[in-house]
Amino acid sequence: MIAIQFVRKLLEWVPVAVFALMFIFLGIEAPTLFTPFTIDLMLKQAVPTVVVSLGLAVVIITGGDDVVSGGIDLSIPAAAIIAAAIIADQVTNHGTALPIALAFALLAAITVGALNAFLVVMIRMTPLLATLASSVAVVGITKMITQSKRINVTDPFIVFLRDGTVIGLSAGVVAAGLLTLIYWFLMHQTRWGMQAQATGGGREAADISGISTKRYQAISFLLAAFTGFLASMFVLARGSGSSPGTEENLLLEMVLATFLGAAFSPRRKVTVWGAALGAVLVAMLSVGFKSIGVNVFWTGCIKGALILIVVASAAATTRGRY
Amino acid sequence: MKWLLRYSFLLVIAACIVFFSFWNPVFLSAGNQMNILEGSAILLIVALGMTLVVAMGGIDLSVGIALDFGAAFAVVALKEYDAAWYVAILAGIVGGCLIGLLNAVLIVWLNVSAFMATLGTFFIGSSVQRIFTNGGGPISHRRMPQEYRDLAVGDFGGVPTEVLIAGFVLILYFIFLERSILGKRIHAIGLQPTAALIAGVEVKKIIFASFIIAGATCAIGGLIASANIRMFTPLSGFSYLLDAIAAVFIGASMHPRGRPNVMGTLVGVLFLGILANGLNLMGLNFNTKDALSGVILVLALAFAIGQRRLTSLRKGQT
Amino acid sequence: MTPILDMAGISVTFPGVKALDKAMLTVLPGEVHGLVGENGAGKSTLIKVLAGVYAPDEGVVSLGDEKHISTLTPNLVHTAGVRFIHQELHLVPHFTVAESVFMGQEISGRFGLDKSTMNARTEDFLRETLNADISPRTLIRDLGTAERKLVQISRALIDGRATLVVFDEPTAPLASDEVDRLFAAIGGLKSKGIAMIYVSHYLREITHISDRVTVLRNGKAVKVFNEVSDQITDPMISAMVGREIAEMFPKKENTSNKKLFEARELSGMGFSQVNFDVAAGEVLGIAGLVGSGREELIDTIYGLLPVTSGSMTLKAEAYNPKRPAKAVKAGVALVPRDRRHDGLVLDQPVIDNINLASLEEVSTVLMEKRGVAKNRAEAMANQLDLRPRNVTMIPRLLSGGNQQKVVLGRWLAKGGDLFILDEPTVGVDVGAKVEIYALIRELAAQGSAVIVSSGDPLELLGLSDRIMVLQRGFLAASHDAKDVNVDSLVALTTGGSSGAIE
Repeated sequence: MIAIQFVRKLLEWVPVAVFALMFIFLGIEAPTLFTPFTIDLMLKQAVPTVVVSLGLAVVIITGGDDVVSGGIDLSIPAAAIIAAAIIADQVTNHGTALPIALAFALLAAITVGALNAFLVVMIRMTPLLATLASSVAVVGITKMITQSKRINVTDPFIVFLRDGTVIGLSAGVVAAGLLTLIYWFLMHQTRWGMQAQATGGGREAADISGISTKRYQAISFLLAAFTGFLASMFVLARGSGSSPGTEENLLLEMVLATFLGAAFSPRRKVTVWGAALGAVLVAMLSVGFKSIGVNVFWTGCIKGALILIVVASAAATTRGRY
Repeated sequence: MKWLLRYSFLLVIAACIVFFSFWNPVFLSAGNQMNILEGSAILLIVALGMTLVVAMGGIDLSVGIALDFGAAFAVVALKEYDAAWYVAILAGIVGGCLIGLLNAVLIVWLNVSAFMATLGTFFIGSSVQRIFTNGGGPISHRRMPQEYRDLAVGDFGGVPTEVLIAGFVLILYFIFLERSILGKRIHAIGLQPTAALIAGVEVKKIIFASFIIAGATCAIGGLIASANIRMFTPLSGFSYLLDAIAAVFIGASMHPRGRPNVMGTLVGVLFLGILANGLNLMGLNFNTKDALSGVILVLALAFAIGQRRLTSLRKGQT
Repeated sequence: MTPILDMAGISVTFPGVKALDKAMLTVLPGEVHGLVGENGAGKSTLIKVLAGVYAPDEGVVSLGDEKHISTLTPNLVHTAGVRFIHQELHLVPHFTVAESVFMGQEISGRFGLDKSTMNARTEDFLRETLNADISPRTLIRDLGTAERKLVQISRALIDGRATLVVFDEPTAPLASDEVDRLFAAIGGLKSKGIAMIYVSHYLREITHISDRVTVLRNGKAVKVFNEVSDQITDPMISAMVGREIAEMFPKKENTSNKKLFEARELSGMGFSQVNFDVAAGEVLGIAGLVGSGREELIDTIYGLLPVTSGSMTLKAEAYNPKRPAKAVKAGVALVPRDRRHDGLVLDQPVIDNINLASLEEVSTVLMEKRGVAKNRAEAMANQLDLRPRNVTMIPRLLSGGNQQKVVLGRWLAKGGDLFILDEPTVGVDVGAKVEIYALIRELAAQGSAVIVSSGDPLELLGLSDRIMVLQRGFLAASHDAKDVNVDSLVALTTGGSSGAIE
């Protein structure tokens, strides 16, 4: 009995250990990797993933961490991509002023969130199916907007997000850090956040405590879509414009980062700061592997395997009676 | 009234047919009807694999990968090893089985949820294809044996082979899932796995086998696709994923107890086939068509599941 | 003294059943009022009327000085200071104690949640009102069941406005030593002048803590005891059952004594070194509190949990099933305690549920012979007097007793040598109970060995030939059923706690 519990405790640390080993390996292979300059570079690379992971964390915290019956939002990257496409199209092709373009983009992203909320809360589709479907529709519409072409953006604000610095740190990194703080405060330090957590922790228990769980779930999708909108600016900044097919990688990194964060959190639950940390770690790995010359096509494989290691170790530690 | 609600999705399909035939009378021609069937063949095969997995209470996000692997194994066997056509077919199915096996191991042995496991398989499978093709370039094989090529372009008495293959798979699945005792057990597992376990059902073995069967089924779709264009295009299977899921759920919405079922899936697939064909005939731009079909898909799913909820509310259950 | 709660002449009718028939319940300020009755007697319906969940067809409910007739709403009841401690805990495992207590009623300061105040108030409340010392920062999943129960109680009472607290089977999931902690908490509440309604099956607890007791039977309040002592246990039982206990149970005829199943030094998760055997034609009862290892022992015999040491023999052959499918193949059948979750596929028709364990027998080359399957299910439905006699219905819509008949029907159709029934009559009405008891004895009479595990001493005494008692994972006693009575059996199961054995 005690031996089994001990093995389970050990298994809990497998994801952490795997990451530690990888970083040790990278540190030996490429000692230049952990200089302030490269770290800043890696953080910059991580910004869009950090932002969308915050959104996914909110949805999972509020919906519960069972991927099928609980909360999941696969459409955040799609919301980010359509918002980026709208901004790029408006600013570059139509000469719209950036604030107005941003307003359009925000509207589009929030519409995606509202659609998810409608499908999940009103129609009672499982979040998985609902957000997968809306993601495909949104990617389709994005293609229509951009005609599957790359659109460059040279707007000074976007360029500032890429190259600018605030108190010695990259503007994007500072912004993502602030956003993480805000979402952390909202989800973990307010009544609203506690009740959202209660909703995700046990729908019935929350209902009995007089929490209107439906409203929380609906709002969580809107908050997630909002991170999609915010991420769009960083996506534009990172890629100097909107390019087709960015969403798939963002989706992978987002899911990996969020669940990885759970493996690092003391309660083994998805948290806002955990998701942000996970996103940073994932980006560091990507950059790290690239810098030691690993074929870029391998990264999907490595990340996919990492997801599986994380969830398999979580599954092994919570294996129930049957 | 209950009947009307349950089958209201058929009315939506009828409305689509009327709409498309007004727009372009060619839509109703016998030739075009065969086009719809031909265009739906691969999706039907993939959707049947998905029906099996969803009926068992899971989900398979890696159906596209299994399809790709089926195509890749067969094309490589033909091109690099000069394999006979039937060996190539076998190789392709083995390719699909491998993907199913990976899923099965993750889900049954490592206890990973079906969603996470098949998502991981999806990413790993995509990455492997990129590595193998050095970034995603197609592997073409112009001098394909005619027998293999006939999987897609041949016909028996005027009926295209791919339609026949899809029909054959459909019948097999119908017998397997809706008439055999294995099907009963699979549905029981999908509804209440512990109850099935305690009733003496070999839950783990059945789940294990089902994922492999689903992978093999999707690989058949890959064989047809590769025979059709005489090449293996990496990552092309992804486009079937959502359509397959949608078809299964549309089909489930027509079942009295909301269960995924073979005939319902067929209706769902035909709906999507009619939609794609009709939009094509409207002469829309490729990107516009993609956008439109995505939006219609969301609406159709919302409608199918929403009306199902209405029906059950009427019966006083939730 | 004006009663704090007065329910009079309450009737509630469900389709086909009169759940309450002019029932009454009066609770005086500051008293602990026991509410007892068999399953289906109307206890939970009465509580739900008080909660404002069901509107009664007739009757008056007075809370304090206010009179309400069928206008009780959950909100109104809450405002009046009535709190319900449900059987289910409804706690989030990864929340801390304080987070759980303040769930839905969090305290917020200027800089977000005021965690220190919530922690302090939780700690104070647990210590001062419930006499419990639990750190407010502990996670729920690290607490024992009794402590979780106390957290649940704190959540209902933390606002300090409770005047009447309803406990619904609060000790059901607790081990004996944990019950004392709950009683200490109840004592704390009582000293604060809070009145309580205490619903329980455990008559010993009722006599231990109640000031007065109301007995319900068939929807009527058949008896009120104004004086409570150990002497009222027997009158309480006969008031509950309404007939001689002996009449409920079929005659015992032990036909053979050939050993069919044997466990030697069997250990598993939650029990160790258990020795016992069952003969063909015999009904063996297993008694034990929750946490005694009773559930785990059964799961282990059925292959749901692993054997850690020791051995089992079935029909003189070594037996270690590893998984249920193997147990079934070997001729073992389990009627699980949670029939809705583990026993039935609720949304598959009765036909499929009955045939699920023996599908090979209704098929040729794996194809189901639907006519044969239906006939077989119908024959079984007739044999078991399933109501309604419609085998295309889904079990979700059946009553508890009829659901249990479907589970039993499945194993009768399959046949077997060893039948294990875990809490076979929980949530089953008295009529169906009698039928199920008869069926169990019939199985034994036909030469099967039967193991019945139950928390109901009456059931075990009436049904079994022999009774073995588990205590904290060890076999504490094994007796012929005729050598024990309710009191001695309860004393055996509860072991050393609260001086039960002197």
